[in-house]
Amino acid sequence: MPDAVLLIAALFTACLGMAWLALAMDVHWKQVCGSASPSPVISKLLRGLGFATLLAALLLCLEADTATMAVLVWMMALAVAAVTVAFVLSWRPRLLAVLLPWRRPTAR
Amino acid sequence: MFPNFRLSMTWLHTWFGLLLGFVLMVAFFFGSLSVFDREIDRWAIPATRIEARPMPSFDTTLAPIFRTITDPDPDELAAAKTRVSQPLPDKLAVMTWSAFTTHRDPVLRMFVEFKVPNSPLPDDHIHGSITIDPRDGKQLPENRLAIGSEFFYPMHFSLHLNWADIGYWIVGFAALAMLAALVSGVVMHRKIFREFFTFRPNKKIQRSTLDLHNLSGVVALPFHFLWALSGLIIFAGLYFPVLGTMMRPLAAAQEKLEATQTGLDLEPSGTPGTLASVDGMVAEAKAMWVERGVPGEVGFLIVHHVGSSNAYVSVYRDNTDRVGGGPGLHFQGSTGKLIHEDPPEGAVSTVNSFLIGMHLQRFKHWTLRWLIFAGGILSSVCIVTGLVFFVEKRKRQHSEQRRSGARWADALAVTTVTGMVVATLAILVANRLLPEELAQRDLWEKSTFWAAWALCLVHAIWRSSAVLKARTSPAWAEQCWAIVVLAIGAVLLNAVTTGDHLFKTLSEGYWPVAGTDLMMLACAALAAIAARRLQRRATAAARAVDQDSELREVRHA
Amino acid sequence: MASVSHPPWYVASRVLASTLGGYAFTWGFISLGAMLLFAAGMNLEEASSLSSMLGFLVLLWGFCWAFVAASLTRVWSVLAGGGVVMPAAGWGLSRALM
Repeated sequence: MPDAVLLIAALFTACLGMAWLALAMDVHWKQVCGSASPSPVISKLLRGLGFATLLAALLLCLEADTATMAVLVWMMALAVAAVTVAFVLSWRPRLLAVLLPWRRPTAR
Repeated sequence: MFPNFRLSMTWLHTWFGLLLGFVLMVAFFFGSLSVFDREIDRWAIPATRIEARPMPSFDTTLAPIFRTITDPDPDELAAAKTRVSQPLPDKLAVMTWSAFTTHRDPVLRMFVEFKVPNSPLPDDHIHGSITIDPRDGKQLPENRLAIGSEFFYPMHFSLHLNWADIGYWIVGFAALAMLAALVSGVVMHRKIFREFFTFRPNKKIQRSTLDLHNLSGVVALPFHFLWALSGLIIFAGLYFPVLGTMMRPLAAAQEKLEATQTGLDLEPSGTPGTLASVDGMVAEAKAMWVERGVPGEVGFLIVHHVGSSNAYVSVYRDNTDRVGGGPGLHFQGSTGKLIHEDPPEGAVSTVNSFLIGMHLQRFKHWTLRWLIFAGGILSSVCIVTGLVFFVEKRKRQHSEQRRSGARWADALAVTTVTGMVVATLAILVANRLLPEELAQRDLWEKSTFWAAWALCLVHAIWRSSAVLKARTSPAWAEQCWAIVVLAIGAVLLNAVTTGDHLFKTLSEGYWPVAGTDLMMLACAALAAIAARRLQRRATAAARAVDQDSELREVRHA
Repeated sequence: MASVSHPPWYVASRVLASTLGGYAFTWGFISLGAMLLFAAGMNLEEASSLSSMLGFLVLLWGFCWAFVAASLTRVWSVLAGGGVVMPAAGWGLSRALM
């Protein structure tokens, strides 16, 4: 795969991982899904999924570049991804509902 | 200092953050711009809007030009005259010739080192340099200022205060304060993980500012720490010149010992000699890189002991594929034979060159370059919001107590945030407006920068009396509008004076100029949004006062 | 923050200890560290580069500790004391290793 595709995938994956980590938290879950909090199991699952996805982002970075470069790309990608997720949560939180496909959208 | 650890850390964070926050703002903002210094250079010197190209032939192009560089930089010469006991000779002896290029350089910088005799400093030398167009070897006119690499970049680490290196020391102290602010910030922040993604833009300004401060500080914490630390490490020899002073005798003895082992003499022999074909040496170096599976171009080339029988030539790869540097190949000048190859780096040197390399970004990796730029912007956001929070937290109390501390902090914050952007755009506008043949054009450009910044300071102080009444200074919004006008003006002026408008540069994919233009437009858009929000808030606040109702309710409505 | 008020000289003393004291201490750490590593067989350039890199962390520690430590006397005696003793030891070692 060309490096550009790998890097775009890595950035996207980093955002995905950060979003799931955010959704594992009560306050952000409420922002996205309305009132209910995630059950402890769901919360744990989301956290696991989030960390696994961030790890996948690292693997994509390592596939694209030499290790030293890849670690830098990953570290910076995490920062940018976290800010992106935070901004989505402040302005368009409902967008993140697509990351919980098993949940039917709750009516407001 | 205080009965508990957290209070002491809070004191440290607050006061050193305020004192050095202004310097940090300059360092991080111009540092972020320096990530794209070569691209800004292309925008500022339209004659060099050509594709980057590799190091030209030394034998046919560079050698004749090096011979014409016979005079050092006048400022450096004047400084050298003050530190020697005897008057300097008319012509100083040439020590080295060198040329440096990267994958982003369409022009080539060439340097000559001149020996300063009878100096109390070891190896004292001064420089002469020119920039050439490698296509024809012609020198660029001297009055062209490379705004990115010659103005914004040195501003980032020296503030252009060169007397006794004072600027380097101030920025170094600010970097230390940054590190301390990060440590103390982590101590103060009680909900690092719980509020990791928290930003509440619609809360009171003091709350949302703190949210943004924490958010930008925490998510990019490794970046902030590593870049402040590596910035200090780059100048370790300046801040802690242990080997150059206290341990000079030992260091000198070690250098001598090493020179006998490598065959690379420390001093010229004193007998004149000739230089074999350097192109031949470069060809051999490139062949060796290919053999090792790391083909590449030459990034740095240096001739030591120019004109002497023991001259030697060091060739370094441009290392576009890695973060750190790589070993140099050293050839005997008279014969062109390889006499020494730097051994592979040890663990310490590898870490050292990684830290320095990530800070200087010589690699070819546009994604990482943009991400590092984003990191620099996050640092800037963190510093700005820290300064704004300082004012927001105190302005009501100061206003009641009739104290002016918050007012001055706010005026300085306006100057170092919006004022700095205004000055940055002003130099770019001046660059496009000043006549091409103006004598000392570069000086005019720099003066415009400083004048614009000074004007912003005056404006910020004049408008800051609002802070005394616990309101937001209108200077923020007004300078935001100045940014909008200047940024759009700079993009239009570039289109009109050079013909390289965005439709053209984008369709041709000429990213240095297209990117600079687009960033300025983005900056204009952000400034416009910020100005409108600030003014809407101010009107709402004023109406609230008119109706004699609670401020808070209106903001919530 | 205004809960505890100190006389200006006390704050100034802390600030001086954190900056000048911390600087002298770090200078000592780097010079002595470089000499010890060199004596242990590391190449001089690597030794000085390792001790400088660690030195900036020591500088950071000293800078913060000067405000956190309970006793101002202890702050000064450690930072200034180390800032005199360690460079002297480093200097002595460098002459001995010539």
